[in-house]
Amino acid sequence: MTKKNKRNSIMGMAFFGPALVLLTLFLFIPMILTLIYRFTDYFALSPNTTHFVGFENFAKIFGDDLFVQSFLNTVKFVLIIVPVQCFGALGLALLINKITACKKYFKVAFFIPVVMSLAVVSTLWMQIYSPEGILNTILTNLGFDAQPFIHSADQALPSIAFMSAWQGMGYQMIIFLGGLQAINPALYEAAEMDHASAWKKFKDITLPELKPLCVFVFITVTIGAFRMIVQPMVMTGGGPSNSTYTIVYDIYETGTVNWEIGLSSAMAVVFVIFVIVLTMIQNVLTKDKEGKNENKK
Amino acid sequence: MKRVLSILATAAVCLTMLSGCSRKVSPGDIEGYDEGEQYISLWVHIIEETPEGQAYLKSVNSFNEHYNGKYFADVEFIPRNGSGGGYSDKVNASVLSGNLPDVLTVDGPNVAAYAANGIIQPLAELSDEEKSIYLDSIIEQGTFNDKLYALGAMESSVGLYYNKAILREAGIDVPEAGNPWTFSEFLDILEQLKPIMKEKNGYALDMTFPVGEATIYYYAPFIWANGGSLVSEDGLTTDGYFNSDKNVETMKYFRGLVDNGYMSSVPIQNLFESGRAAFKFDGAWEVNTIYTSYPGIELGVAPYIVGDDWDGGRYTPTGSWAYAVSSGAKDVEGATELVKWMSGVESGLELYNQTKSMPSTYAAYEQISAFTDDENYKALYEQLRDYGHPRPKTPAYPQLSSSFQQSLENIAISGMDATQQLNKSQERIRAKLERYTRK
Repeated sequence: MTKKNKRNSIMGMAFFGPALVLLTLFLFIPMILTLIYRFTDYFALSPNTTHFVGFENFAKIFGDDLFVQSFLNTVKFVLIIVPVQCFGALGLALLINKITACKKYFKVAFFIPVVMSLAVVSTLWMQIYSPEGILNTILTNLGFDAQPFIHSADQALPSIAFMSAWQGMGYQMIIFLGGLQAINPALYEAAEMDHASAWKKFKDITLPELKPLCVFVFITVTIGAFRMIVQPMVMTGGGPSNSTYTIVYDIYETGTVNWEIGLSSAMAVVFVIFVIVLTMIQNVLTKDKEGKNENKK
Repeated sequence: MKRVLSILATAAVCLTMLSGCSRKVSPGDIEGYDEGEQYISLWVHIIEETPEGQAYLKSVNSFNEHYNGKYFADVEFIPRNGSGGGYSDKVNASVLSGNLPDVLTVDGPNVAAYAANGIIQPLAELSDEEKSIYLDSIIEQGTFNDKLYALGAMESSVGLYYNKAILREAGIDVPEAGNPWTFSEFLDILEQLKPIMKEKNGYALDMTFPVGEATIYYYAPFIWANGGSLVSEDGLTTDGYFNSDKNVETMKYFRGLVDNGYMSSVPIQNLFESGRAAFKFDGAWEVNTIYTSYPGIELGVAPYIVGDDWDGGRYTPTGSWAYAVSSGAKDVEGATELVKWMSGVESGLELYNQTKSMPSTYAAYEQISAFTDDENYKALYEQLRDYGHPRPKTPAYPQLSSSFQQSLENIAISGMDATQQLNKSQERIRAKLERYTRK
């Protein structure tokens, strides 16, 4: 090893070391502990009486109505937010790509909610959704009935999903915008010469060119949506009638409020396995399609 | 090899930076801690730079002055977030590592869980005279399995507030403290107020069942005042208690309030404060809020309502943070002295001056003019003194609290079957209690 290489290696370690230590302390060790605790009845207030309980925690989890409900709530949330956020982001990107005036302004305006903390956004939307808030005032002035929004078991989850999509879509918009700008203009010029309609151009040029980005956005939005906890924690506390109680919220409450670390570790493991399996399925499905497209070409 | 070494060295530096929490204190290490003094460590659940933190600091300093040469108390301020994490996480972690302080603050409803899991130990014997300075609710809150574990730093109360102008308009008289409205009488009053409040674009009652501690704190008294309870005396059985017929009846009473339109099914901000509700259940802080921010409201405190067959027993909301001696404390006598000092009259007065929180001793109330001169504060104090009832004492309290809220919300707001909901909730609490009943 030359002197320069040696120096580089030490420098590299100096930069990498702190991150490694922090990751080890706050990510790798807790992950390993979670894998161990899932088979125990570890109770935070009485760690010395911990026993190995085998798969008892898993039996408890799947027999628990609340866990099943929180799981279904999370899936419902994902099913609402993923299309809304992905198509919303794509729509915004197409709009910004088209307009010529105040382009920067709109780009910043749509991106600002992403920069804001979720807790702040949630508090803001609590006001917007409140029974006498701005949204209900607009509705009643337009002659519609006032809606309970986050205070109704039926509307709370969709309301939170809509707000979350609004908050997050600016980020995906920027990704799509980058993709749109990278499309070769010659493709559109050729289409124009063939008198292709706007829809045809979008369907046959824009969408296929953006496909790899769509897959990326789809998967990241899905995983992000599964992790949802802040919005219900701030806005509804999981209510009304547990309609906004999510898996991650359940894991958190079981571990920190009810002190059952063993049980919450098992929940976390179930959750992680589910997300991994889902991501693998998504990957396989989207890859197949890509393969087929390539064959067509 | 060198690469591995450099990784280890960097890791060691970073770990040193991150550690440094556990320490052994010797005389002279801290200003005021002298040779021959017994060192007592203390954790409180708040940051130093708050009025509450300053009150605790002042009390610790006066303790050290008073016991100079005998004891030295060293306070550590540990912040806690909105849902109570932070502080409790640190306590939990210290249970495992064995680094608990000698004295720590515990939220009233958690005394049972901490005691049942051996995190705190009973205080050294207090004489009857020493105990008699505290409100009955404080002694009751700190007692688990007939042993006194904790003494409150402060107390709390919830009032049934009313708008005097509206009640005057409706021709309704408010009863004396010993003769509260019964459930039936209160329904008649709400019915009488309904058209008046409709005209004001409001409701007779400003009431919600929010997620969190408030719901059990405000509304469990309806259970007790109707002859029910949420858990057995020993805190380990809920079947036949939480889901009793009496409680089904009380839950249906709540649903009646929503179904009959006496309260809004969705929370409306500042309903009472804007003069659009005749009644409101809220903490003692509401008096100060009305006095300072809504001087146009003529505020009164009515006695908490009771079931039709109320036997005159205790039932109104109480409870707050308390001091307890950890199981790791070697000198229980010394630690108990600190607990007594921190929960004593002077500390209560200091805390009131800084935060307006209600004291835990009779003598403190006598020295605060608000509780002798102001009719609303006086009513809240007298309600607490004569009718205060602690929240359920069970090691599965967090589950019981959230189950109570969920049941109430499901039954009253979502209109679900009361018996079924209470049975379901009871089952969840029972499952959490299994670890204690198995022993």
